[in-house]
Amino acid sequence: MSALTVVLDGVAYGMVLFIISVGLTVTMGLMRVVNLAHGAFAMIGGYVAAVALGAGVPFLAAALGATLVAGLTGALAEALIYRPLYRKGELAQALMTFGFTFVVIAALTAVFGSNIKALPLPGYLSGLVDIGYRMYPAYRLFVIAFGLALAFALWLLIDRSLYGARLRAAVDNPRIARAVGIDVNRLFLLTFAGGCALAGLGGVLGSELLPLEPYYALRYLVLFLLVVGVGGVGNFKGSFVAAIALGLIDTSAKYYLPSAAAYLFYGAVLALLLWRPDGLMPARSAQ
Amino acid sequence: MTLRYGGWGHLLPWAAALAFYFFGSDLLSLGTNALIMVLFALSLDLVLGYAGIITMGHAAFFGFGAYVAGVFSIHFSNDPIAGLLLATAAAAVLGLITGALILHTRGVTLMMLTIAIGALVLEVANHLRAITGGDDGLQGIRIAPLLGLFRFDLWGHTAYLYTLAVLFVWFLLAWRIMRSPFGRSLDGIRQNVRRMRAIGTPVWWRLVAVYSLGAAMAGTAGALSAQTTRSVGLTALELLTSGTVLMVLILGGTRRLYGSFAGAVVYVVVQDLAAQADPFRWMFVIGALLMAVVLFLENGLMGLVDLGAARIRALSGSRREQR
Amino acid sequence: MSMTMAKLGMGLLLALGLGAAAADTVKVGVIMSSSGPFARWGEQFRQAIEVYQKQHGKTVKGNTIEVIYRDDGGPNPVRAKQLAEELILRDKVQFLAGFVFTPNALAVADLITEAKMPTVIFNAATGMITRKSPYFVRTSHTIPQAAVPIGQWAAKNGIKRVVTAVSDYAPGHDAEVYFSKAFKAGGGEVLESIRIPLSTNDFSPFFERILQQKPDAVFVFGPGGPPTVGLINTWASRLKPAGIKFLGTAETQQIDLPKIGRAALGVVTSFHYTETVDNPLNKALWADLQQMFGKDTVPDLASVGAYDGMHLIYKAVERFGPRPTGDQALGLWKGVAFDSPRGPVRIDEKTRDIVENIYMRRVEERDGQLVNVNFQTIPMVKDPWKEENPE
Repeated sequence: MSALTVVLDGVAYGMVLFIISVGLTVTMGLMRVVNLAHGAFAMIGGYVAAVALGAGVPFLAAALGATLVAGLTGALAEALIYRPLYRKGELAQALMTFGFTFVVIAALTAVFGSNIKALPLPGYLSGLVDIGYRMYPAYRLFVIAFGLALAFALWLLIDRSLYGARLRAAVDNPRIARAVGIDVNRLFLLTFAGGCALAGLGGVLGSELLPLEPYYALRYLVLFLLVVGVGGVGNFKGSFVAAIALGLIDTSAKYYLPSAAAYLFYGAVLALLLWRPDGLMPARSAQ
Repeated sequence: MTLRYGGWGHLLPWAAALAFYFFGSDLLSLGTNALIMVLFALSLDLVLGYAGIITMGHAAFFGFGAYVAGVFSIHFSNDPIAGLLLATAAAAVLGLITGALILHTRGVTLMMLTIAIGALVLEVANHLRAITGGDDGLQGIRIAPLLGLFRFDLWGHTAYLYTLAVLFVWFLLAWRIMRSPFGRSLDGIRQNVRRMRAIGTPVWWRLVAVYSLGAAMAGTAGALSAQTTRSVGLTALELLTSGTVLMVLILGGTRRLYGSFAGAVVYVVVQDLAAQADPFRWMFVIGALLMAVVLFLENGLMGLVDLGAARIRALSGSRREQR
Repeated sequence: MSMTMAKLGMGLLLALGLGAAAADTVKVGVIMSSSGPFARWGEQFRQAIEVYQKQHGKTVKGNTIEVIYRDDGGPNPVRAKQLAEELILRDKVQFLAGFVFTPNALAVADLITEAKMPTVIFNAATGMITRKSPYFVRTSHTIPQAAVPIGQWAAKNGIKRVVTAVSDYAPGHDAEVYFSKAFKAGGGEVLESIRIPLSTNDFSPFFERILQQKPDAVFVFGPGGPPTVGLINTWASRLKPAGIKFLGTAETQQIDLPKIGRAALGVVTSFHYTETVDNPLNKALWADLQQMFGKDTVPDLASVGAYDGMHLIYKAVERFGPRPTGDQALGLWKGVAFDSPRGPVRIDEKTRDIVENIYMRRVEERDGQLVNVNFQTIPMVKDPWKEENPE
């Protein structure tokens, strides 16, 4: 029975990673930008929600607000910071986004101080739920359900909608896409903002597992990058599978072999990347 | 490595480094740190600037070299040069093994793999607490006088000159290697792998070789750090350290002979000043600096030097052949 | 000019010269963490120092006490050493102080011995630090000091089976070893000793494992900072419903209680600083902190460590003037007893370490706020590690 709990815990953790990282895989995949500032957008979302909750705004509204703000910040960043980077190459992008992360961290520390910002969960999320064989935190069940819903919604959006078709076309071949009338720039802007918005949402929803503090953006960056890399850059399905897989590996390793857990995690990442260098589910477009 | 400013230009950085020894007595340990960072960034330039291997895990070799040198001095022998050589060799071996493992991949995948390996090395160091000291860091490092004559004093005189000498040796080595056919082929590999393969270049071997070379150099830098500061900590192996040396290199300018010099000195100085001026806000300064450099300086700080030199040349009216 | 005039003139000049030399600046170099995830400790140091200087003035017998802050960025022994070198050689400080983390303090040991620099440790808590240099003195606490009483208390209060879950680094190991020793000495049984990696975000698998063992209580030592809140929250959601108690030391400091929430009610810990302890110095510290830095400011262990550390420095300048030697300062400090906001303290003559009360306290709700309330005092506890490991 405890094995089932470990699975649930692992999946919940994986879902949080998915919600935050899916935006990164999309932006890295479609815009080919090495975006090391992705954690910063998740953080911004979390802090905005913290402020809203502190002012008495109900949880869902605060989460929504945080998502929007993160998305808007992303849109602004795209126009001002990322767009000049497209032609400058990967190193410049890595450096710029790294510097941007530092600036965000410093700014948030100046405003909020260096302690953890706790996001008080609403009543319906903070209790325990009877799932048959034991009481289990409602919050984790919510995260799992939300992650599944998000994955489904993304599938509908990217694989089944006109927007998704246009996006895929623009990623596969921007020139031809423009030639048939797709406004590639606006599409990318929208998608990038969407990715940042999702990051912000993930920052809010994941705050129980990944506590909010100014160093958040750097502390968890490796995790997000690895989920994207293992899953396949640009493929949201891949990052879903990778996030769940890594969440499960990490959690079960900690449960069964606590002292070796860290080795197992990075070893698994190494093995997965060597087995499938392009990711578990490589993006359709060949590099 | 392109050398744009002829013979006299060469002397300038080395003369400045020597001058600093005489005029900067209070700041020698800062200077030593800057020199170590130069060596570290130079090692990355070989791997990333020349061969085009994007790595976010280069700190693994720096840290490994540091720990090997530190442990060697505690358990085997205090002699600094022996420790230095051993650490360099050990880091080269680590570079060889990990490079062979991952260098068949490219681009983002390769970067992810370097991150994973870096994280793994950090975990191993943390786990082997009995040897490395874990989070406490490696303590009790004592370094015997250099060549039996020059004691490593509190003020850092010996340490500075020692580091400068080692840097000079590696610099010459790196320069020679990069100007050789081997070095040129790396340049070619970075620019167009397929073409290089088409003309029969053993690409993978070359990449592994330069990766090991860069690892060796980084290992030396780590060993110097361990010996001159007499301490090693896990931060030497962190992602942030890999990120920092990447920043320093790009700041200075890749594939430029003295790019790493410029970047390292500026970074160390700015960080020191910013941390002194406001210990609570220095990250803001560094972050803003990075963004500004990327936005406005195409070729890093050496680009600024180019501009300056072009101005001077235009003013003086002389026409010199440019590479 | 007659001889008398000349002598008078000389005498006057001499007096002026002496007078000028008497009023000097005393520089104190504080090495702390003020950026990154551990910045709150640096913030607490600075706030406490400023309160002390407000209460006692910035001058001692005409000598200005100037504090120079340097950021080590977290556990970074190499950087700490570099900063110490700069402070000693470049800034020419008279005292070194601070040190949030053990490795940073250890890294400067050789340096301060060579430079004979009196060094006050405001925070780092591993037992053996003060042994590493005769110029170290500590005003914070040692982990064994805090871990032993809770082990003894648990054994005496109906807790028979415990699982220890500590963070996987030296302080955590110290806590695990000393708690277990004390607990077992009282007749208790330690079922398992789990070590949780420092980088852990999700504690649930570890706590699931603990749940399966069905202990009476879990002894926890957290890394301080963000993960500690996650630790105790996970206990609250997984183990508390099963009746497994939480035993700890610094995990329920008042500064963190609002983030943990009511789940912490009833938790028993043992520590050297309880924020609600009733004495004039503590009340003044609270009042001044809130007046100077906002009404949400809460003193914590780093605050009292720095406050008392400054006290030692002021005493040394008062006694020896602006340029005390290391030997003079240490000679004064060894054996000195004084009152601290935490209660009475003493610096041990032989070990140069702090001897202080350890309080058993429980989390309760007072006036709508969660606070720690003392219910037992163990007076003047010396560091167990040094008692067991004589030089």
